[in-house]
Amino acid sequence: MPRILGIYDLPGKTAAAITQIRARGYTEIITYAPAPFEEVEDAVDPKPSGVRLYTLIGGLAGVITGYAITVWMANNWQMVIGGKPFSSIPPYTIIAFELTILFGGLMTALGFFIKGKMLRFKQHDVYHPRFSAEDFGVVVTCQSRDVPELESLLRAHGAMEVTLVES
Amino acid sequence: MTPPPPAESVAAMIRPASRYSDSKVNRDLLGVMKGASIGYWGLLGLCVLLVHVAGSIWVYQVYKGLGIAGYAHPIFWGAYIVTFVFWVGIAHAGTLISAILFLFRAKWRNAINRSAEAMTVFAVLTAAQFLGIHVGRMWKSYFILPYPNQRGLWVNFKSPLMWDTFAISTYATISIVFLFIGLIPDLAIARDRARGFRKGLYTLLSLGWQGTTNQWKAHNRTVLHLSGLATPLVLSVHSVVSWDFAMAIVPGWHATIFAPYFVAGAIFSGFAMVLTVMIPVRRIFSLEGYITDYHFENMARFILLTSIIVGYAYMAEYWTAWYSGVEAEQSAFWLRAFGPYWISTWVMIICNGVLPQILWFKKARTHVPTLFVLSVLINIGMWFERYVIIITGLSREYDPAVWGTFTISWPELGIVCGSFAFFSMFFLIFLKLFPIIAIAEVKEIVIHERAHAEEGAH
Repeated sequence: MPRILGIYDLPGKTAAAITQIRARGYTEIITYAPAPFEEVEDAVDPKPSGVRLYTLIGGLAGVITGYAITVWMANNWQMVIGGKPFSSIPPYTIIAFELTILFGGLMTALGFFIKGKMLRFKQHDVYHPRFSAEDFGVVVTCQSRDVPELESLLRAHGAMEVTLVES
Repeated sequence: MTPPPPAESVAAMIRPASRYSDSKVNRDLLGVMKGASIGYWGLLGLCVLLVHVAGSIWVYQVYKGLGIAGYAHPIFWGAYIVTFVFWVGIAHAGTLISAILFLFRAKWRNAINRSAEAMTVFAVLTAAQFLGIHVGRMWKSYFILPYPNQRGLWVNFKSPLMWDTFAISTYATISIVFLFIGLIPDLAIARDRARGFRKGLYTLLSLGWQGTTNQWKAHNRTVLHLSGLATPLVLSVHSVVSWDFAMAIVPGWHATIFAPYFVAGAIFSGFAMVLTVMIPVRRIFSLEGYITDYHFENMARFILLTSIIVGYAYMAEYWTAWYSGVEAEQSAFWLRAFGPYWISTWVMIICNGVLPQILWFKKARTHVPTLFVLSVLINIGMWFERYVIIITGLSREYDPAVWGTFTISWPELGIVCGSFAFFSMFFLIFLKLFPIIAIAEVKEIVIHERAHAEEGAH
């Protein structure tokens, strides 16, 4: 399948091109950006990132673990002080709070690695260091017959260059 | 509707990508990492030497016992705990700048957030060392962790020292995660322009980052959530540290004001340390285009705000002691100001409460040498604040028969100096290995400005 790479200098142009390309029914679109730009990200996929689910799971696991280990340990090694209950919830809330943050933060990082498809060290063949300079790249996979239409679409939105990557 | 321009033939499109010019932001900010002057190596060498000297003193202390550090009744929390609290405080500006200012969408943080985050990590690492240095039998310090053991014994979670363990270790972990996640896009920028050993290092550390939509989307969300988690964390950590004191019934410690008082003090000292470090860094590496006087002025405003809070807390402590009618409290605070430690107390009040008031004037906020001198004085003042709280508290408790006087010992002095060298050593290494300013975040602003300029031109 041919892929067409369009290179842009501004996020607005990139987002407009992506919106138009999606409206024409092309779905296999990859973009490269030098910095975070919401307009570009929303043009490709308006759904929020699934990282939030990982944070939620981590946070809940943390708060449960925090209370569970403190209450269980206090009852497993009982300290008899003035007839007071072995467990004391107010100080244990501090441990539960810290573990909520710790587990939530670590799970958020895990979510980033999974949802961002990190740890894949082989670079895409279209990746170019200019995308870590100040240029934006839009790669669209299409049928051979659609190449001319895509090229004109990319250029109509101000692409600085359009390159056919493979046929 | 305007018809689209005519399409080029497919053959014309198959051509190598044209040459591109690298971003000026990349060149400027990656330039900081290139080469190193004799001055840099000299400073790094001095830091490494001082760290080794401090390490040797510590080994000697482990061999001889804490007695050589002057640990004797009634003062068993000496300069080590003073310095521990000092470094935990320094660690607070990084997370404040990164997390809280991120949530408030304060874009000016972009110039200083990376250096502040790095300082946070190094300050927490420095602080954590003092927990080991301070205990007598440091080879048993792992007893503080809840681990299964043959005695069937568990730690006491009602102890503030346990809260401290969990708070500091969580803070260290989250600070490292925050710093590293933020660094990934910049490491990829460095990877694309590096050769040899550095290429390998940055390829490994950038974890395959290419700046795709998926990656940016996940990255943005991750930074947002980490900020959301780190904001209450930063408030909790120094609150927990303050409870190490406030939970005890020592006069001068047992006060409900301690948590907000310590948090404000931590942010105050953290910002001062960011200024102390970044003013020379900006000058040496010619980063005036990125870290402007506007950034320093904003930090000065924070310092002024937190100085007022800290100054208010100093006054409130005296008021509470007087109004409580408790003789021990009144005596403790009288002795702070007019007893054997009066110099420390007045250094603290003048450096933290009085001198920062010059920041009401714009001329002072925008005069960099003034800010630098003030930031150093605040660092000194904040070390003395912890000295005053800990030492005067312990040396004058309820029974005058057990009162004592504290003098700092040479091992303490050596290890405290070593801690500054330890922090500086890590910062100097960081300067040359990693981007000290968040390149991608600066680019976000630069590209947005270019887009607005282009829209304006149309």
